[in-house]
Amino acid sequence: MRRSSVLSWVLAALVPAALAAEPEAVEQQSLAQPWGLEQLMVELGRVQHSQARFVERKYLKVLKTPLELTGTLAYDAPNRLVKRTLEPKPETLTVEDDRLVIESPARGRSRTLRLGEYPVLWAFVESFRSTLKGDLAALERFYRVALEGGPQRWQLSLMPRDPKMSTLIESILIDGGKGRIRRIEVREAQGDRSVMTVLEDAP
Amino acid sequence: MKRGGRIAVLVVWLGCVAACAWVAWHASYTTDLSAFLPRSPSVSQRILVEQLHQGVVSRLILVGIEGVPPPALGALSEALAERLAHEPDFAYVNNGSQARLTADGEFLMQHRYLLSPGVTPERFALAGLREALENDLDLLGSPFSALVSRLLPADPTGEFQRSLELLEPDAGPRKNHGVWFSADGTRALLLVQTRAAGFDIDAQERALARMRSAFDAAAAERGAAGALLQVTGPGVFAVAARADIKQDVARISLLALLVVSIMLLLVYRSPRALVLTLLPVASGATAGVAAVSLAFGSVHGVTLGFGATLLGEGVDYAIYLFTNRIPGSEPGRNLARVWPTLTLGVLTSVVGFSALMFSDFTGLAQLGLFSIVGLIAAYAVARFVLPQLVPQHFGVRPLAGLGPALAWAASRAWLLRIPLLVLVLLSVAWLTSRSGGLWDDRLESLSPVAESDKRRDEAMRRDLGAPDVRYLVIATAATEQAALQAAEAVGAELEHVRQLGALDGFESPALILPSDAKQRERQAAIPEPDVLRERLEQAADRLPFRSELFEPFVQEVSAARQAPLVSAGDLKGTGLAVRLESLLIARPDGWMAMLPLREVRDAGVLAAALRGANGVELLDLKGEADALYRSYRGQALGLALVGAGAIALLLLGSLRSPRRAAEVLLPLAAAVLVTCALLTAGGRQLGIFHLVGLLLVVGVGSNYTLFFERETFGRTDPQRMLLSLALCNASTVIGFGLLSLARAPVLSAIGTTVAVGAFLSLLFGAILAARRRT
Repeated sequence: MRRSSVLSWVLAALVPAALAAEPEAVEQQSLAQPWGLEQLMVELGRVQHSQARFVERKYLKVLKTPLELTGTLAYDAPNRLVKRTLEPKPETLTVEDDRLVIESPARGRSRTLRLGEYPVLWAFVESFRSTLKGDLAALERFYRVALEGGPQRWQLSLMPRDPKMSTLIESILIDGGKGRIRRIEVREAQGDRSVMTVLEDAP
Repeated sequence: MKRGGRIAVLVVWLGCVAACAWVAWHASYTTDLSAFLPRSPSVSQRILVEQLHQGVVSRLILVGIEGVPPPALGALSEALAERLAHEPDFAYVNNGSQARLTADGEFLMQHRYLLSPGVTPERFALAGLREALENDLDLLGSPFSALVSRLLPADPTGEFQRSLELLEPDAGPRKNHGVWFSADGTRALLLVQTRAAGFDIDAQERALARMRSAFDAAAAERGAAGALLQVTGPGVFAVAARADIKQDVARISLLALLVVSIMLLLVYRSPRALVLTLLPVASGATAGVAAVSLAFGSVHGVTLGFGATLLGEGVDYAIYLFTNRIPGSEPGRNLARVWPTLTLGVLTSVVGFSALMFSDFTGLAQLGLFSIVGLIAAYAVARFVLPQLVPQHFGVRPLAGLGPALAWAASRAWLLRIPLLVLVLLSVAWLTSRSGGLWDDRLESLSPVAESDKRRDEAMRRDLGAPDVRYLVIATAATEQAALQAAEAVGAELEHVRQLGALDGFESPALILPSDAKQRERQAAIPEPDVLRERLEQAADRLPFRSELFEPFVQEVSAARQAPLVSAGDLKGTGLAVRLESLLIARPDGWMAMLPLREVRDAGVLAAALRGANGVELLDLKGEADALYRSYRGQALGLALVGAGAIALLLLGSLRSPRRAAEVLLPLAAAVLVTCALLTAGGRQLGIFHLVGLLLVVGVGSNYTLFFERETFGRTDPQRMLLSLALCNASTVIGFGLLSLARAPVLSAIGTTVAVGAFLSLLFGAILAARRRT
């Protein structure tokens, strides 16, 4: 706890310095407020619909080589998010409101989970969905949020607030720029990590 | 009577009263409402009733917390669960939180290779292992990889998950803030099991008090002052019903005593006469309690409630005695004419009440005995003891004008015979038009639980995903192991039926605790460690798993191969123990496994699949409960008819004339018909207890109509006779009428019926008698 709060304090202190280094920050400064979390959230929240391809690499200690998954992502504001894995095994995750539906055609199974019943899963979903939605309050409910960089290139770091979740997930780093998310890295407490690269909009 | 004889009578009376008082003082008093659920005929029904009253189901308390915002409810639920877990009165507490499930999870994890149905020789063959590992790889790609990779080294075949899924069907309660919530999200839910049985009301009451104080402490600690605790369940209902009965019996008896006393004081204007009038009642009540205590071993609280009604009838005898004595006159003449009729009246009441003694309802049988002994004792005291206590020339001057007024009314009552005929015809028409909806056929109508409490209970049960089970398969066997094996065999059949789509699923004790034979079979399916290592290596070939990753699995699975078998004792302290206990039951004559079925869609397919299985029975609980109730009602109807027939025979025999007997019975028949019509007029349906009440209308009402019978009436002083009849009837109507205010259905139904019927008996008796007198 203490370490994390010190960390977020340090990060918070670093943000203005990083901002100053960005040329775009000068533009922003002409506005009433300096560029920061609030502005980023407003920018992200403007997007009503987006679609992209992704490549996810999972570096797991139980595996000799990383696992690679590819597929598509689709987001419809404010609450619907679909992650469709195509390779190696088709699987579709659909989050809508407080429901997560997992469809695995290969295993002929479909499961519906209520996020309220799985706090850790819920927090995990919100790291992504609330960021897309630009909902800072929701993000801060689950995470201590810190921002580095400027509008062209930024990095959000999310530290779980719930001790139960921090036994599983150490941090989530979301990279992006120009109102888009480019990369999500999830660092698990056990040392495993996964990196999802979000590629240009799918046709 | 001579002085010596007088003293002898008083000594005998006082001796009897003292003996009865001693017995009554040492009697044990119960309020167990199962006394009003009859002993059931068939074995399966007996099991049903037994389980309802002492089984694990009876020990469950459903707890709801509401009244504050959901996050606070979640925190309160946790705080309450934490406190209750440390209370010795509670065997099991669950609020759905992960913390509460840890014990269950650890148990499942530790014994997964003996508990999981996935442990088969095929699973540990090369192909089975390969399939499991490929599946694991898929799961690592899912969002659950963090959890999967933790369990992977020790459980690559997913036996933990499989045994968990088996026990946690999808239909669990919904969860918010990590704990169970109602579907609308406004109420946090907990499931608690008391250590004491449901029928042990003292223990249940204590447990509930502990829970309340734990809740108050938790609410205070969390600063949630507005939070409300809602509890429901069989034990909760029993405690509430007892409190109701205790309160009602005391209140109603006192009130009846007070009202009857005031009435008598107004009429007699003599406190001494009042005290003397109450003596037979007090003696009768003491004797009644003593008799019930000696015959049944304990006295039911509801039986005491009938003290109020005994008051109503017991004062009659003294009233006749006093109102028919004219001060200063020879007491004998008038009274001598009254006693034979009074004796016959007592006998008809006794016959009416004695039909109750043959009831399967222990409670009704007690009521019958109490009333019979009480009435006879009150009658005997009024007849033999009171005259000894009354000074030679003592008598009361009843309120002037009351007698003449009654005589005037009675002499004109015949004018009402046409309206009476119309009333009876209307009643018959009404009753025949409603013949379909006249009876309440639900077993629940016997339940003392208030409608609003019942609805809350149903809502909480639905939210907890524990709806009432309709179909149940029961497998009986001589030993625990045989019962588990029977459950496994039936389970295989049920699984087959499930795949056909005839049902959604089922629970079984064998899924929680497999039989020893099944566990040994699973141990035998596990290969030698070296063989397993070799196969694993082959299976993982070309898969990216780190080498020797699965060594913990090899270790644990090999340990399970030689581990002692899991027994019921190993479950102690887990929620699984509670479930096993409710599904696997030790009975005096063996063991019984219960398999509740979910969502039966085709009972025909189900019944066909189970046909021919030995010691296996398919129970349709709703069907059984309805049949049970119909059999109770059939019995009550039979008793009522036999009782009424016996009263008719008694009247016929003692009056020695069919015409005279008919004159007594005709107004009673009219009273019964009109009472039925009045009771159902508001759309209410009649239950078993109303039926019993109607029998009592015949037994009690005959006391009045007897006096209106032509020859009897002709022999008495009409004014005094009418006055005594009016007083007796008023006290009976007061006694039973106040009883109708009681919350226990048995008391209120009988009270209402008899109060209305007794009044109508007197009225109709007067109307029909007047015709003959003029």
